[in-house]
Amino acid sequence: MDSRIRELRERFGWSQGELAERLEVSRQTVNAIETGKYDPSLPLAFRLARLFGEPIESIFIDQP
Amino acid sequence: MTPRSPTRRILLVLLLAAACGWLAAAPGSPLPDDLRGFVAGILTGMGIGGLVLLLVRTVPGLRNWAEQAGCDNSTSTLRRRYLREFLPAMGGYVVALGASIWLLHVVETPVLRVLLALLPVPPVALAVRAIVRYIRDSDELQRRIELEAVSAATALVSLLYFAGGLLQMAEVIDIPAGPAMFWVFPMICLVYAATKAFVSRRYR
Repeated sequence: MDSRIRELRERFGWSQGELAERLEVSRQTVNAIETGKYDPSLPLAFRLARLFGEPIESIFIDQP
Repeated sequence: MTPRSPTRRILLVLLLAAACGWLAAAPGSPLPDDLRGFVAGILTGMGIGGLVLLLVRTVPGLRNWAEQAGCDNSTSTLRRRYLREFLPAMGGYVVALGASIWLLHVVETPVLRVLLALLPVPPVALAVRAIVRYIRDSDELQRRIELEAVSAATALVSLLYFAGGLLQMAEVIDIPAGPAMFWVFPMICLVYAATKAFVSRRYR
């Protein structure tokens, strides 16, 4: 699933490592979500939404 | 080089390996003959491990790869806790194994021989506990990778033992039962290292 994680992360001026620390996940997880290789669980998606202050639907792009 | 620098630790490992080498091979060694093989094994393991760590630490390409591989997969808190729990357990295993081998040569009482033979089990159990806690407290992607890697490793080693059992029954090979049983866990660990690298690549 595509997402705007990289765009939002760069807007906040965070590296992947810094974002990973804030989310309490590994840097590999952040990278995998950004590259669309891994879809996060609902709790992690909500944490991302709270961190970036945007709804989940605007962060993750559903591809029918 | 600070007192706690990784390079200093690696050099310490190599020094201990050299000490083991002297204990195992030197004519004036105080070790009994039956323990020399065990110590030589420790020397080999420590020496190879120390050299690999030194290469990874000093060769730039390898160093970058190791830093990425190590730092990417878990938080620093989790890594530190894992090493704090795992390394002393493995140190305890080495000591217990040496004591077990040595004392089994002199103790005759059956009950005591059972206890001595099983002496290395508790430290290995502690090492397994450290591994389970690491996996349990990893993030969701890491737990998925660990599940796939451990499942694949267990399946592959089971298949290998199944094939080995058939060859043993057909009297094509003749492997002693003791080493065959002893090597199940180490083989799963070795194959797991390869399967984890393979599974991780899918998410890079």
